[in-house]
Amino acid sequence: MTVTTTTRGRVEVSGLTWRPFGRREPVLRDIDLTLTPGERVLLVGPSGSGKSTLLRALTGLLGSAEAGELTGGVTLDGAAPGARPGAVGLVLQEPGAGVVAATVGRDVAFGLENVGAPPASMPPVVARSLAAVGLGDLDLETPTSALSGGQTQRLALAGTLALDPAVVLLDEPTAMLDPGCAAEVRAAVAAVAAQGGRTLVVVEHVLAPWVDLVERLVVLSGDGRVVADGPVGEVLHARREELLDMGIWVPGAPAPTPLEVDPALCRPEPAALAGDAPPLRAVPFAVERTTRLLDGSARTARAAELAEPLTAERGSLTTLVGPSGSGKSTLLAALAGFLDTAPQAAVTVQGPGGPDAPGRLRPAQLAAALAWVPQWASSTIVADRVLDEVCATSRALGRDDPATTERARGLLEALGLGPLAEADPRELSGGEQRRLAVAAALLHGPPALLADEPTVGQDRHTWAAVVGLVAAYRRGGGAVVAATHDASVVERADAVHRVEAPPRPARPPAGRTPLAARCGPLALLAAAVLGIPAGVLSPHWHTTLAVLASQAVLAGVALAAPGEGPAPRGRARTVGLRLVPGVLAALSVGWSTWWLAGHDVDAALTVALRVLAIVVPSAVLVPWLDPDRLGDHLAQRLRLPDRPVVATAAALQRVSSFGAVWSEIARARRVRGIGVSSAHPASVLAHVSALTMGLLVRTLRAAADLAVAMDARGFATAQRRTWWAPAPWRRADTALVVLATVPLVVAVVAR
Amino acid sequence: MTTISTQAPARRRSITATRPLLGWRTVDILTIAFLGAALGVAFWGWGIFYNGPITALKIGYAPAMGLFTGPWLLAGVIGGLVVRRPGAALFCEVVAALVSMIPGTEWGATVLVSGVLEGLGAEIAFALLGYRAFGLAAAALAGLLSQPLEWVFEVFRFPSSWADVPILSVFADGGGWAAEWLMRDKLAYLGFMAVSGIVLAGAVGWLVTRALARAGALGAFPPGQEERESRAV
Repeated sequence: MTVTTTTRGRVEVSGLTWRPFGRREPVLRDIDLTLTPGERVLLVGPSGSGKSTLLRALTGLLGSAEAGELTGGVTLDGAAPGARPGAVGLVLQEPGAGVVAATVGRDVAFGLENVGAPPASMPPVVARSLAAVGLGDLDLETPTSALSGGQTQRLALAGTLALDPAVVLLDEPTAMLDPGCAAEVRAAVAAVAAQGGRTLVVVEHVLAPWVDLVERLVVLSGDGRVVADGPVGEVLHARREELLDMGIWVPGAPAPTPLEVDPALCRPEPAALAGDAPPLRAVPFAVERTTRLLDGSARTARAAELAEPLTAERGSLTTLVGPSGSGKSTLLAALAGFLDTAPQAAVTVQGPGGPDAPGRLRPAQLAAALAWVPQWASSTIVADRVLDEVCATSRALGRDDPATTERARGLLEALGLGPLAEADPRELSGGEQRRLAVAAALLHGPPALLADEPTVGQDRHTWAAVVGLVAAYRRGGGAVVAATHDASVVERADAVHRVEAPPRPARPPAGRTPLAARCGPLALLAAAVLGIPAGVLSPHWHTTLAVLASQAVLAGVALAAPGEGPAPRGRARTVGLRLVPGVLAALSVGWSTWWLAGHDVDAALTVALRVLAIVVPSAVLVPWLDPDRLGDHLAQRLRLPDRPVVATAAALQRVSSFGAVWSEIARARRVRGIGVSSAHPASVLAHVSALTMGLLVRTLRAAADLAVAMDARGFATAQRRTWWAPAPWRRADTALVVLATVPLVVAVVAR
Repeated sequence: MTTISTQAPARRRSITATRPLLGWRTVDILTIAFLGAALGVAFWGWGIFYNGPITALKIGYAPAMGLFTGPWLLAGVIGGLVVRRPGAALFCEVVAALVSMIPGTEWGATVLVSGVLEGLGAEIAFALLGYRAFGLAAAALAGLLSQPLEWVFEVFRFPSSWADVPILSVFADGGGWAAEWLMRDKLAYLGFMAVSGIVLAGAVGWLVTRALARAGALGAFPPGQEERESRAV
């Protein structure tokens, strides 16, 4: 069917009802909605009213990541919404949730690859899409991980534009951004809307910044029905009270009054407040972060700086403000003792033996000195029942009694989580988990609370509850340090620290790279694997010695870096570190063979050297393997199936973030007083399994989100993909593979 | 109208993946790739805890190291149990191996070979059951069968007698890195590996999958549905 620009983007929803399996009540009930081409719609409703679900229905992806019962239907210009890949573009709430590739250019081109566009046609489309969202100045090779939250959201928008969508859907695109970044994103959306011809649907619960950008307001009720629909001004006027009751941030309404919470629910332990010293104090410090680069060198840069001394007095609120990426979260983590500071011991809290640096305290002592609420509240979850989660730290500190459980219930009640006391905390919504984290941080009465964006994603009611609880805690004498960009929270602060990103050091000039680093990933893998037959075919250690000698010579060649410019540093260290375990393995295998095979020195030497011959090529070559390019080569050169290769490349790209999740969960357990001791194997087992489970749950969520984002960009039907970057096999690759067969030949000839 | 639903299963039977079995959805592919990568990272984390006991055993009775090999097979078992499609176990184990290889492990590129052999073993187990059974017994079988191919790779030895045969003479006396052990010790190693495969990969993999389902992280997959149905009853 041919569609002309004037009729594109007509969405018709008729009788749509959706009940996910395992829920008694539908999330969406009997929705009828018609969006005319080019219409700009704001979709609002209380938390849990099915706004995001409706957006997924509009993409045609409902049920793609969750099973359930669907009746009714959605059409776009008379066809199924997914009929043309990318006809419905989707931008998700969490910046980065939909990032597919390691570089900006490739990420925008993802949809084009899926529909099989010729590679030569991609660059102009990519450039146009980036320019449309105000990212035209960005180099196409910029790593996606180096973008700010706002840039990442605009990148996602550009990615949808590349496929020329008739409808663009945005799911709370600015909820997790600071005001500056949020304004950038809205400006980009406005520019896209102004181009005309595209239907736009935005889900938001903070309405004011959006009302000028949209013309129609659709309101969903808590039970998933459309309860109001009309021109934005009219609906806001006529339904104002109803919207306020739903907790929606209606423009012009005064900030909600913080809830009155009984300070007795979360009063700091009197012992912790004894003496005059403030609960937490810090002299100016910097946090440094070391990144290891592919060429073996390491670069240390300042990740965050605290410019002024910080004193969190009893009952005070100190806020850290600044744009996303300026290092607020890093500073909080350093204040909690998770990161090293320069100078050392810049932070002081009240330890058991007087003032001490939090990094030196044992878990239980740290938990008694301070509490921490991270941005990703899901990673602090340590229990499988909400009530146990709240009580976990009190139990770890041996302060568990019926009265504590009663207070825990009181806290949950105050935060609107009372009915969920028996639920599994991992199944709560993001906003609910954040509130739960605050309750879980305060129950045991720490003298200081460090909170990272505690009010993000809350509606008016839950915002009032969180702010009210923090106020009650302060009245009881607790000191609060919060990283926030919520103006109403900053207003309440006694001290405001502006955090600015430390200047990034200029990239050092590209120096020479080792010869191995100039080879493609497949050649490196093949050459590393060739070590296996070379070792296996060595019948006796005499031969293996010759094989090892040839490998040593070749390693020298592979690590040489001829050419102009400064020599790469740390090559020997990189390879040496990887050889250490191999040498240990050779020793232990040799020893065990000697022991088990009747003290036969020949046999022992043979296996020991064989292990070395197998491992040496990997130690020398694998460090130079670029995981980002591996996907290109696996699909284009080896002709492996496209979709698994793309998925694997996306997963490899996020490995470092998985590592970060692992350490974040470890920190959260530490600060909640749940220690590990090698003297108690049970505690080690509990720790390892908690870390693994936490990591897996987060990973599975990320995979489900990314699946939706990728399907919205045509991945589900990508049978014949094209590729943004070529995967050439160069002469260097051939040379490497040929040279890597030399030890094998030696093994055969020297027998 | 569209209804996304699976056939009502008889009780006590596993729920299978949606038909066609080879119709991998995007969420299936991504979940396997991400699970593999996360477990690859976890392998690293575990290494910190268990390098100690392993090293002690190497000095004592080396074949007993087999008792600790199970966790490395978890990716295949969990991948198969979660997605329940042909290839899931193999794909998941290979991704985990790739991820643990790139930062560098003591076994270098052989990790990749091991990943293929172990994933293939788990895959064979699920295939033998026709991709229909995913209970504790199936998980144990997958853990068990993950081991033999890897065992062969580590202990095989080409016979010395091949030295007189043309062409094959190249292989004579070659072998894996436990090739010089006595057959008695090799078999003991296999026994330890089997126990570890059944318990640390099979049973633990099954428990992890159930725990993930209970945490609501498997909503899109059969184990998530099993969990919901068991609650509904």
